[in-house]
Amino acid sequence: MRKYVIAALCCLLSLFALAGCKSSVPENTVFSVDDLSGKKIGVQLGTTGDTLVSEYEEDGSGTVVERYNKGNDAIQALKQGKVDAVVIDIQPAKAFTEANSDLTILEEEFVNEDYALCISKSRPELKASINEAIRALKENGTLDNILKNYIGEDAGKTPYVTPEGTEHSNGTLVMATNAYFKPYEYYEGGEIVGIDVDMATAIADYLGMNLKIEDMEFDSIITAVQSGKADFGAAGMTVTPERLKNIDFSDTYTTSQQVIVVRDNDAIGANSNIIEKFKNDFLTDNRYEFLLTGLRNTIIIAVCAALMGILIGFFVAVIRSTHDKTGGLTIANFICNIYLTVIRGTPTMVQLLIIYYIIFGSVDINKLAVAILAFGINSGAYVAEIFRSGIMSIDNGQFEAARSLGLTYKKTFIYVILPQAFKNVLPALANEFIVLLKETSISGYIGLTDLTRGGDIIRSNTYDAMLPLFVVALIYLVLVVILSALVKKLERRLRSNERRL
Amino acid sequence: MSADYNDSDVILRVEGLKKAFGDHVVLENINTTVKKGEVIAIIGPSGCGKSTFLRSLNLLETPTEGHIYFHGTDITDKNVNINQLREKIGMVFQHFNLFPNMTVKKNIMLAPVQLKLMSESEAEKRAVELLERVGLAEKANAYPDMLSGGQKQRVAIARAMAMNPDVMLFDEPTSALDPEMVGEVLNIMKELAESGMTMIIVTHEMGFAREVANRCMFFADTKIMEENNPKELFENPQTPRLKDFLSKVL
Ligand SMILES: Nc1ncnc2c1ncn2[C@@H]1O[C@H](COP(=O)(O)OP(=O)(O)O)[C@@H](O)[C@H]1O
Ligand SMILES: [Mg+2]
Repeated sequence: MRKYVIAALCCLLSLFALAGCKSSVPENTVFSVDDLSGKKIGVQLGTTGDTLVSEYEEDGSGTVVERYNKGNDAIQALKQGKVDAVVIDIQPAKAFTEANSDLTILEEEFVNEDYALCISKSRPELKASINEAIRALKENGTLDNILKNYIGEDAGKTPYVTPEGTEHSNGTLVMATNAYFKPYEYYEGGEIVGIDVDMATAIADYLGMNLKIEDMEFDSIITAVQSGKADFGAAGMTVTPERLKNIDFSDTYTTSQQVIVVRDNDAIGANSNIIEKFKNDFLTDNRYEFLLTGLRNTIIIAVCAALMGILIGFFVAVIRSTHDKTGGLTIANFICNIYLTVIRGTPTMVQLLIIYYIIFGSVDINKLAVAILAFGINSGAYVAEIFRSGIMSIDNGQFEAARSLGLTYKKTFIYVILPQAFKNVLPALANEFIVLLKETSISGYIGLTDLTRGGDIIRSNTYDAMLPLFVVALIYLVLVVILSALVKKLERRLRSNERRL
Repeated sequence: MSADYNDSDVILRVEGLKKAFGDHVVLENINTTVKKGEVIAIIGPSGCGKSTFLRSLNLLETPTEGHIYFHGTDITDKNVNINQLREKIGMVFQHFNLFPNMTVKKNIMLAPVQLKLMSESEAEKRAVELLERVGLAEKANAYPDMLSGGQKQRVAIARAMAMNPDVMLFDEPTSALDPEMVGEVLNIMKELAESGMTMIIVTHEMGFAREVANRCMFFADTKIMEENNPKELFENPQTPRLKDFLSKVL
């Protein structure tokens, strides 16, 4: 027990040491657009910034583009000197530089761009309706009010409200977004808000439909719209030739700029202290609730998927070892082999995405259920092999002794082989559960708020990259340490059963 | 076919048994009959197929050719319920094969209870009785790992007896034991023989075979090379192979 306490203390200490230390800002090297050539540039994967900067990569000047899943990560890399500049949309850039006084936006604009909604190519009638709605909202000033409500002096003064008497009788419109993009879409008090959200609500109201928002990774949005998981995507998306190959766009609803964020060496370090950061990250707006929700989902997914994995693994292992021992069940064994090969031969994340976007592509299904299914099927393959090695490790004499007493194959398995096999593999099973628990951290890819993503949501709100990550890591660590301790106890109990006189 | 198939005294009848593992013929054209109350000792050099023969009798090995009749039923027939027949053919292994995940008592109770031959309490009573008989009453709640080799084998004998078998097969039951434990196991087997149990015993304990068996078979070169009452077999070997074998083991 003492070991664990010490381990936990060390973690806490290093956490505060790391979060508290104020990094001295590396020298800035980018002062204009021309300086970008030959530098390391950070972008968010799949954004317009990514597309634009990628051209530099091919011009032979040695420019390197680092692509991050979140703008936040790119900004963090910039602060640490891993990249020299970040190309990003102006609005989030403003939010980032406000939160990080050691960063600044270059005055020279990089590129102007138009934002539009993406719509599947196979739904021209939807595109027409949306375009008509956008036109109407532009004309009656609704769109302007929405923009003003988030950007500029009068922010917060003209919130969008659904016009009285609006009926929502024409069904539901599903919007795909990536809610890490203030002020276009972000989390506030557990809900996704922002310009795109209000505009989409206004469009839905105009069309007499309900709006449903699906949050996901930015680079999943186009897939979701293509597969029919969502009707349209709204995420500060720019029309680019590359994107037009796969997807259609509505008319432009607003314009924006891509700007260059660089380190500001003149800034006076004004990093707020760790207590302030902690308050802001977890207490303001009850942000800790993101972690609680995430933790709850992580545990639900891990436990249910583990049970499912044990069930699948058990049957697969019994089929496979029956085949090994008796030569029977050839077809079932063949199917099991395919299952094992496919599942163990592909990354879990790819399996999760395939199950969500392809297998359940056009079905409205609970994301938690999808995650449980995906991780359960995945874990089943590993558990099957664990069980099988446990079964095969039992001396054949056990089998023969039971059979010679007249017990059937099935009863022999149930009363003699499996109890021994289970005990032999318990440590391996527990290990698999721990792996599974940590693996669920990719659930964010289907827009599910698990523990990891709970931390990400806080990061996108507070622009503090470090502390939420550490806290998330600490929670995982505590879970794993508790689990390991429980398993040790269980193992000891099982062992002492056999030794007692 | 001859009339004594249904002779109630005949427990096992082996006809033209052949067993090969791939191309390797281990047994060929084995014929014999085992009658109620007989104690048969099987001797022979290592690797000559003694275990294979014994294991064929309860189909732990599937014969390549030939027939084995148990109480007149051909057990090599695919339609026969082998599990039901095995209930009446007890087997004791060289390496005991006790179930380490249960107590000694549960080892003995498992089959009678699971096969619904006895209630839980009947089986428990029987287990205690049998453990007394093999002198291990105080070990009823011990786990197998706690026992010495000799004690394990005595439990294994009790486990086989719990099914009230018509015949018991022993495959070198004392070969894995330290010398000082051989006696306790042989004593139990001797008592069992005296109680009228039909037994087929593969053994290297020539003294025991001579004293306890009514019939002795010498296996060599894929067949039963010689078969006789023990006294004759040991004192008057007919074949050079048996003479040679006896000169090495006696
Ligand atoms: N499962 C098996 N597969 C292949 N060969 C086997 C198998 N079991 C036994 N044998 C072979 O059959 C022969 C007889 O074995 P066994 O009956 O165990 O001999 P014994 O008990 O007389 O020492 C040996 O040559 C052994 O290698
Ligand atoms: Mg042998």
